[in-house]
Amino acid sequence: MAAPHPVVVSPDPLDPRPLIEGKQTDQTINDSLLEHVWRGAGKGWWALFGVALSALGLLVIAISYTLYKGIGSWGNNIPVGWAFGIINFVWWIGIGHAGTLISAILLLFQQKWRTSINRFSEAMTLFAVICALLFPLIHTGRPWFAAYWLFPYPSVQGIWPQFKSPLTWDVFAVSTYFTISLLFWFLGLVPDLAALRDSSQSKLKRTIYGMFAMGWRGSGRHWAEYKWAYVLLAGLSTPLVLSVHTIVSFDFATSVIPGWHTTIFPPYFVAGAVFSGFAMVMTWMIPARRFLGLKHVVTMKHLENMNKIMLVTGMFVTYGYVMEHFIAWYSGDPYEFAQFYFTRMHGPMRWIYRLMVFCNCVVPQIFWFKKWRTSIPVMWVAAIFINIGMWCERYNIVVTSLHRDFLPSKWENYLPTWVDLSLFAGTIGLFSTLFLLFLKFVPAVAVTEVKELRHELAHDPTADPVGETH
Amino acid sequence: MSAEGHEHHSDFVPRRFLLAEFQTPEGLLAGTTKMREAGYTNLDTHSPFPIHGLEEALGLKRPKIPLIVLCGAIAGACIAYSLIYFCNVFDWPLNIGNRPPHGPPANIPITFELAVLLGGGSSFFGFFALSKLPQPYHPIFESEDFLRASVDAFFLSVELPAGTDVDRALADIRTAGALSGEIVEESER
Repeated sequence: MAAPHPVVVSPDPLDPRPLIEGKQTDQTINDSLLEHVWRGAGKGWWALFGVALSALGLLVIAISYTLYKGIGSWGNNIPVGWAFGIINFVWWIGIGHAGTLISAILLLFQQKWRTSINRFSEAMTLFAVICALLFPLIHTGRPWFAAYWLFPYPSVQGIWPQFKSPLTWDVFAVSTYFTISLLFWFLGLVPDLAALRDSSQSKLKRTIYGMFAMGWRGSGRHWAEYKWAYVLLAGLSTPLVLSVHTIVSFDFATSVIPGWHTTIFPPYFVAGAVFSGFAMVMTWMIPARRFLGLKHVVTMKHLENMNKIMLVTGMFVTYGYVMEHFIAWYSGDPYEFAQFYFTRMHGPMRWIYRLMVFCNCVVPQIFWFKKWRTSIPVMWVAAIFINIGMWCERYNIVVTSLHRDFLPSKWENYLPTWVDLSLFAGTIGLFSTLFLLFLKFVPAVAVTEVKELRHELAHDPTADPVGETH
Repeated sequence: MSAEGHEHHSDFVPRRFLLAEFQTPEGLLAGTTKMREAGYTNLDTHSPFPIHGLEEALGLKRPKIPLIVLCGAIAGACIAYSLIYFCNVFDWPLNIGNRPPHGPPANIPITFELAVLLGGGSSFFGFFALSKLPQPYHPIFESEDFLRASVDAFFLSVELPAGTDVDRALADIRTAGALSGEIVEESER
């Protein structure tokens, strides 16, 4: 057994706060991080689960009604041909991106603080992408016919998908993104599942966790290949996550609609995705670290770092807004100018635009101040505002751009129906249900990686934090 | 397991392993090197997390995963591009505004995505195939102590060929710095 190392030091001379608090050994880390799995579900968990399940029921009803009636039951109609379906798709996909950023990009940049939050955010990625995938599927109206439009399946009609359409690229991008995120998440989970198997008290639990652990025995021969498999998946996920939201932004940018037809969309979408994803991580992490007893591995330093990332990406997004307005003026195009300076600022949906600017540009500025950056209530409320702001951004892009068409005679307002609203609320229910189940059955923190980090920090403050290089 | 069963599988020769616990990861690596230098083969370490330098201690060759991933990614890119080319140029060319049926820039996104999909997939499945996992049973699971190998203990296992001097192996592993040593034997299933 490893000797306890009483002092865990941080190698960062500018920020001496530890990444793991308290006197920890491998045993205490193991026990404290698996404790929430072994502990029975509390009243709070059941209450939240009940609410989440009710919302999930609403989703089932809304999907059934859509399939029965057709997508005419949704509020979108010409000129607003795209509305809640694509808003929610983009919003959910964006939320997923923070998970990949934390698990892959921060791994490649050797950021040690990612270790405590990567499992949690990767799970969030998976569930957010599941929610996102529902919308393009349902919006086809008859999803069982959609397979041959979407995938190159050699059907008797001899029809192939239109490979030159960004919507087809989207199908490949999002399905690849889901698959790779799932494989990456599961690969990281295998050693922890073995720890669960070996510390379970009942035969049933041992059998079930044992099945998922696949006979993992911590073999050095396996670790040698594992480290490469893991870091290569991270290396592949990094350009993947950038490509996914770039391709999502192509859905808009390749069209001729004023407000969509801009070259700044890919970077601005990726920054917005990371921004909203971190906000969603914060929304869940702040309660979870308290109720699951994770405060010793998810410290104020982690929360503060996440707030700093939100500040930076928030300013990327703000820059994107400023540039859109500048180019609308500089291009001299009257339709572009009208879209940005009249429709968005003063049109019937101006309050969505103003809420977006407030939530995405103004609210993150509070993170300049250490007092607010380290205040839990302030950061939680700010994260909620950012979630709302990023939803408004997508509403603003999709609906506001469409509802004022080139010909004023075609102008029409847009209102979502109860089906639209139920689908949106329902996906929040689906996400919450999956997330609560995840918190109940799987360690929310990558136990193996925290043990490895503790070992490195305790022995050599300048050690290679991922241990992948030889 | 009945007596008849034993007779039925009379050709069963259980695999034997020497399993020893070390105090620290560094001790495990040093002990592994010593045992390997003493002439033991089929060594393996068991630890809750990857230990820096275990490849050298075990005398492993270069990992195979990077090459597998490279091949997977190249295969993915080739499959995607040739599929699009086949559909758009041979099987069903569409003339839209007299644009050429083969438009390379439009093929980039799907080519890239399939390279990532097959590259990542070969990383994951290649790892499990190389490691021969899932493997529900392994003789070292017979040891009660081994339950701690995924929690906080560092083990060295040595597969002993038939006819090995067990007492000498136990003495050798003590000399190599192990806290304890035991012989585990495969059970007949």
